[in-house]
Amino acid sequence: MRQKGAALVLPNFAWLALFMLGPLITLFVISFRTYEAGRGIQDAWTIAHYVAFVADPYHLGILLRTLRLGIEVTAWCLVLGFPMAYGLSRLRGTPRALLYFVVLLPLLTSAVVRTFGWMIVLSNNGFINRTLIDLGVIDSPIRFMYSMLGIVVALVQVLLPFMVLALDAALLNIDPRVYEAARNLGASRLRVFLQITLPLSLPGILSGSVLVFTLAISAFVTPSLIGGPRVPVMATLIYQQGMSLLNWPFGGAIAFVMLATVVVLFLIAMRLARQERGT
Amino acid sequence: MILWLIVALVGLYLMAPVLVVIATSFTATAYPVFPPQGFTWRWFGEVLASPEYLAAMRFSTALAAASTAIATVLGTLAALGLVRGRFRGQTAISALFLSPIFFPAIVLGLALLIFFNWVGLAGTFPGMVAAHAVLTTPFVIRMVSASLAEFDPAVEEAAKNLGASAMRTFFLVTLPLIRPGVVAGAVFAFIISFDELVVSLFLAGPGMQTLPIRIFTSLEYSSRPSVSAVSTLLILVWLVVGVPLYRRFLDVRHT
Repeated sequence: MRQKGAALVLPNFAWLALFMLGPLITLFVISFRTYEAGRGIQDAWTIAHYVAFVADPYHLGILLRTLRLGIEVTAWCLVLGFPMAYGLSRLRGTPRALLYFVVLLPLLTSAVVRTFGWMIVLSNNGFINRTLIDLGVIDSPIRFMYSMLGIVVALVQVLLPFMVLALDAALLNIDPRVYEAARNLGASRLRVFLQITLPLSLPGILSGSVLVFTLAISAFVTPSLIGGPRVPVMATLIYQQGMSLLNWPFGGAIAFVMLATVVVLFLIAMRLARQERGT
Repeated sequence: MILWLIVALVGLYLMAPVLVVIATSFTATAYPVFPPQGFTWRWFGEVLASPEYLAAMRFSTALAAASTAIATVLGTLAALGLVRGRFRGQTAISALFLSPIFFPAIVLGLALLIFFNWVGLAGTFPGMVAAHAVLTTPFVIRMVSASLAEFDPAVEEAAKNLGASAMRTFFLVTLPLIRPGVVAGAVFAFIISFDELVVSLFLAGPGMQTLPIRIFTSLEYSSRPSVSAVSTLLILVWLVVGVPLYRRFLDVRHT
């Protein structure tokens, strides 16, 4: 077989090998090196950093909190994303374009700017708490800042577009005649949703969920600004180890635990998607 | 009916932070409050007169321009190879080339910090440019690939049959036809680089402040409405330049 066009992809391959794959391999190797405070990275090999991450209650707590964050964000994205995608799929022309714009808006704003907006509304005497207190719904402010709740509120907003786009693509693929047939055969709206819409949009639910989950557990800016040091997650722990404590072997170990989670999830999702197509 | 009520509420939730940031940049109070009180242009004036903000804008512009130049060349070549070529491992190469879009930036940042520390690029401008080129090239590849898929390769064949060299064919036939894709890819790459925070945080040397780093550090302490004002400027740039491109980008993804 002639290798037509291979020379054209070579420069970018070399660039990625040098500035992405090479550094990642270096990080992987470093994560098995011993580290001594004050003396830095040593030449001896160890798996202590990986063991420390799951054996130490404090670090295990961070791992579990990060996974919980991923699950909560994904669940909320599904709950809020479904009506959005369903609404989108029923619109045509300008209304659809407008709603599409609203859905995409979070992706069109930089992470710091978006998080800053949430910090203003979510603070103890921010808009949300003041409104709820004025309305008499609550007596004392809900603690959004420096709590899991605030991180979830802000993260769902930015990750929702990915879920809606995945669901929208799945819903568009459903032949409208299927709905007509079901309705003509006397199925109720709820039954149509549960027995037709939901199963047929399963591939979209799956790909959207995997994407949102992986982006949620690797997010840094939102947990760092809204959670702060009181609510550490894996990403902020990696940053702290890398930039303040300079314990690169441990930071590397956490990074690879995160990467492994992401890769395993993607492999499972791909496998499920293949089975889905096979039936 | 209930469906549209939910859609409206979720839509409001999606727009909330942007609306809040824009509104608070006009508040007359000394700190950002929502709803804003009074009206003033003062904070925009403060941003445009602040040496720190202006230096950060200049630095971000230089970084984005340099990395976009590299990404545009690498990305256009890669797209040509991926769309027109036929070689072993093509699917894997394609997946690898697009992977930086969703790769955890926090992991890449730490990996580059350690690697650059080893080869002497840590805290340098060239190091940051190299990293940003990695992050932005996939966007060029996507845009150029879409342009390439839109026109008939027979045009290129015709040029070659008429005796044009491969170089001549590229510059006189292919490049003019894919130019909209190349331009869109370059602009997209520029914005992605201009907005990038996480990898920059790891790699920036002392005194090297990008605009997102500048905003990030000011948020960690106390924030003045000038932070809202500079954020509003960023939002406006995205809305004017980014929206048309994002539509195109998503169309590409869905095909």
